[in-house]
Amino acid sequence: MADVPDALTLKVNRDREGKRDVLFRRIALGAILVLLALGLVNLFGQRPSTTTADAPAATLEVHAPERVRGGLYYQARFRIDAITELEKATLVLDPGWGEGITMNTIVPSPLGEASRDGDLAFELGRVPAGEKHVFFLQLQVNPTNVGHRSQNVRLFDGDRLLATVERTVTVFP
Amino acid sequence: MDIVVRALVMFLFVWLVTRAVGRRELSTLEPFDLILLVVIGDLIQQSVTQNDFSVTGGMLAVGTFAAMTVLFSWLAFRFPRVQPVLEGDPVILVERGKTIDRNLRMNRITFEELAAQARLSQIPHVADIEWAVLETSGNISFIPKSGS
Repeated sequence: MADVPDALTLKVNRDREGKRDVLFRRIALGAILVLLALGLVNLFGQRPSTTTADAPAATLEVHAPERVRGGLYYQARFRIDAITELEKATLVLDPGWGEGITMNTIVPSPLGEASRDGDLAFELGRVPAGEKHVFFLQLQVNPTNVGHRSQNVRLFDGDRLLATVERTVTVFP
Repeated sequence: MDIVVRALVMFLFVWLVTRAVGRRELSTLEPFDLILLVVIGDLIQQSVTQNDFSVTGGMLAVGTFAAMTVLFSWLAFRFPRVQPVLEGDPVILVERGKTIDRNLRMNRITFEELAAQARLSQIPHVADIEWAVLETSGNISFIPKSGS
């Protein structure tokens, strides 16, 4: 009868006594499946969501993902429905919209861009009552930009605040 | 710094995946497995270096993988109790001509696959095998019965 090959023992290598390798493998596989499931339910982005703020003068709607990942392109859509005429509609975005995020395109080009107390102000001009103004930002997340930041959007008519949409964005690595 | 962290995370994730998937699946280089390995490598590269096309970035990523490989190897050598966790244990599949079905099942190896591997080692019958051992590399080593 031949001996067991060197460095092997029947207890460990045949009977697997005290070994939990199958359990470990199942746990590891389970962890991977949980990760995939979380991805499917949009935990890591970047399915867009819509947030709306209603005001007597206008409705502001922001359609953009709240969870994004490094390097990805995405679009933010801003829609203003004027109930009464807006003489000088201005969108003011938190700096979180630009922090570590490249703005590739702004369509249509705003009439003016400025900093308003550190926020990004886009002057859109006149919006007649009953009409809408749709404004797109094409964005790309810089890979080193990871974390959580505010992306509130405020709609002004001149210096008068009309509506605020409160949002945050989470950037995954 | 982030590229080192990303490489570190991906190294650990790939290690977890290889341990979860099992050794046999990744050791056979059939056409599909070969394609799978290349695709996995490409996906890892994108997540580690992302938009970094620099030589420095490449050196940092490769260096991290090399350092982690050495670290795992050193841990397995220095602390033998850690080795089964990092690399797994050899598993006996055949003892004196008799298959150990529990071990075959645990490693998702069919009798037909075992017989095919035995034939590649010039052993026509499983009954002629003294020992068959699934090594940590995923290969099966065969020791034929003396005289067979």
